[in-house]
Amino acid sequence: MPSSDSEDFESADEGHSSPNKKERKKRLSSSNYSDNLELDHEPQKFQDQHSTTLKESTKKQANPEDGWDDFDIDEEATETVTEQKESHTSKQESTAKTGPTQSGWDDFGEWGDSKVNEESQDTMKHQKQEVSQPVTDHPAPQPKSEGWGWGWGVDSLLSTATAGISNLTTQVSQGISTVLETGIGAPDPEELARISVKNNDSKPKSAESEEIENTEAKSDQNVNDGAFQFGSLFSGVTKFVETTGTKVIAGGLDTLETIGKKTMEVLQDGDPGLAKKRAMLGLDSGDKLVLSQVLREAKAKADEEDLMREAKREAKEVHYETLFDDFEGLVHLEALEMLSKQVSMRIDERLRNAAPDKRHDIKETLQQVAELCEMPEEEDDEEEQEEISEDTSKPDAFHERLQRATRDIGLKLQFQPLIKQYTEILTWFEETETDIAGKAIYKRAVSGLAQTTALCVELYHKTAEMLLVKNRRSTADEADALTQMTVVLTRHISDLATQFTEKLSGHPSESKEQINGYITNVFLEAGNSSKYIENAFQLTLPIIQIGAV
Amino acid sequence: MVDPIFDYQFRLILIGDSTVGKSSLLKYFTDGKFAELSDPTVGVDFFARIIEVQDGTRIKLQLWDTAGQERFRSITKSYYRNSVGALLVYDVCNRSSFEHIPLWMMEAKRHIEPHRPVFALVGCKVDLVGSDNKNGARREVSCEEARMFAEENGLHHVETSAKTGLNVEQAFILVAQEVYNRIQTGEYKVEDGWDGIKTGFNRPNGMDFNLLEAETVQSTCC
Repeated sequence: MPSSDSEDFESADEGHSSPNKKERKKRLSSSNYSDNLELDHEPQKFQDQHSTTLKESTKKQANPEDGWDDFDIDEEATETVTEQKESHTSKQESTAKTGPTQSGWDDFGEWGDSKVNEESQDTMKHQKQEVSQPVTDHPAPQPKSEGWGWGWGVDSLLSTATAGISNLTTQVSQGISTVLETGIGAPDPEELARISVKNNDSKPKSAESEEIENTEAKSDQNVNDGAFQFGSLFSGVTKFVETTGTKVIAGGLDTLETIGKKTMEVLQDGDPGLAKKRAMLGLDSGDKLVLSQVLREAKAKADEEDLMREAKREAKEVHYETLFDDFEGLVHLEALEMLSKQVSMRIDERLRNAAPDKRHDIKETLQQVAELCEMPEEEDDEEEQEEISEDTSKPDAFHERLQRATRDIGLKLQFQPLIKQYTEILTWFEETETDIAGKAIYKRAVSGLAQTTALCVELYHKTAEMLLVKNRRSTADEADALTQMTVVLTRHISDLATQFTEKLSGHPSESKEQINGYITNVFLEAGNSSKYIENAFQLTLPIIQIGAV
Repeated sequence: MVDPIFDYQFRLILIGDSTVGKSSLLKYFTDGKFAELSDPTVGVDFFARIIEVQDGTRIKLQLWDTAGQERFRSITKSYYRNSVGALLVYDVCNRSSFEHIPLWMMEAKRHIEPHRPVFALVGCKVDLVGSDNKNGARREVSCEEARMFAEENGLHHVETSAKTGLNVEQAFILVAQEVYNRIQTGEYKVEDGWDGIKTGFNRPNGMDFNLLEAETVQSTCC
């Protein structure tokens, strides 16, 4: 029985659940990350690209590759990711190169058409609002054909730039993510800023200088592309672009690094080397990686595992056999069974080897010992219990009874663990508030019974081992002592069950039905416990018998 | 204290002469504590701890701490059979405990058959070496000698101290990893009727806990 049971129930201690919680917390937080990442996936993708562009153009930036380097070091398995990223990068590189001249702008051509026409008819103030908004959103220069109208718009913007600078600042910082998002192919702000600084070393301060600058800008437009007309706009905002831009870029890189690292953590959570996820996504066969899919999978998996763990932990907490195993009861029972089997074989061997006339005697002796070990009727022990003084504490009385029962066994048995555990349960009874949940009492009852039973089984196991190495056997005394000990232990179990059920039935608030369910279960588990104990006693029988033959 | 969910359970047995430090080694491994004085083990005691092997698989090690005393020898023999790994423990300051290692190993092989366990040769009490305490402990087994013996017999070797914690964890992880590797290569299998390796009931694939709930009130009779 124990061996088959043990296959079903094996686990570590119940007490182990608190680190579990900790781990769960960690897991939850990482799922949050995956949540965010999933939501932010689009912007992030663009940010990735953008940052790559930034890298290309601004080598001055303090080692901007850090975040990605980490990826490479962390895990070779991200090769695919990296590769793909690189393909983005190279694509991005080409876009970035051609961007200022053609492709990037074409994308915004349509927008520019309608916007600019409107603008030219609108009032200045209105125009300012109109323009400043799109500028922050789409810092892409206009196609040449629309260049003039745009140029004027820029002028007027410049004249009001100083006034609107704070407004613009907030818009830029708000809009920066949008810029990053939609800004594929657009030259990055810092580059633009640098160009405009070069072109406008002395910044216009008055309306006159603005006029001059405007001409410059216009000529620039004529000669070159809209980059410079746009550059002149940026000249007005160079300072803040420089500061804000650097801040944003620096902060952005840090954020990217953090996001990148966290992403890998989430991806690798419970899946070192990403082996499972790679297999799952068929990445090894060269399929393209879809980041959002990986993240979704990772999150779903983490969520599912959380749920499973929670449910299992919950189930284990009130699962008698699991708890019994956790308290090493099962393994002691198993070891006792091994001993019992081995000793039985030795007895059988002795029987076989004995002379025919002796064989009958041996069988008789074995039978007698077995009879000695039969459990007495209930009422026998009532008197004995009364002998223990009323003043004795419950644990002491229990100890006293155990010692009396095993007085003649000729071994020094260790009852301390049982006594200690009983004391703990009694303390729990005293300290527990009356309004404790019924479920909590039930849990404590089941775990208390399981632990007591495990300790009892351990006691039989240890006793059996000591009997086997005992020098002078006294079979009758041993049989009697262990029988009485079994009585004391099973009574102790039913005592415990009664105390727990009293606590349960005295429970005020919860539904009667629920409480009755708990009470029934406590008594069932107590019956379980008694069976385990009697079973352990029966396994000890051959060990008592062998002393006599 | 650990998360109680695990994928496999390995049963390991610790054998070796009495007082070499088997129980102390286990106490440190499972509890992180060292007791200057401890009672000799009676028969067998049990310890358990969950560890992770390299790929993150969670392994519950069920550790059988056998009594080294001669008088328990006949009893401890009965406990060998269901072990998948055996730690052969000696005291680096006790020559004869090392000289008995081949006997312990033969004993283990004989009783664990037909299974072939993973063996590790574990030297204990290295903290005593070179210390000027009143025990006057002196190294009697050199590391080279032990290593040579280990190599000849295909064992892992490690020297530990349950007092300082040196290599204690490593000794067990070494064995667990080797057992796990042999599962991966198919050399070891989970078998009915043999408890050396068992799967944890918490494999993350099913509704197994529902089944457990259902049989909460089951008979415990054989």
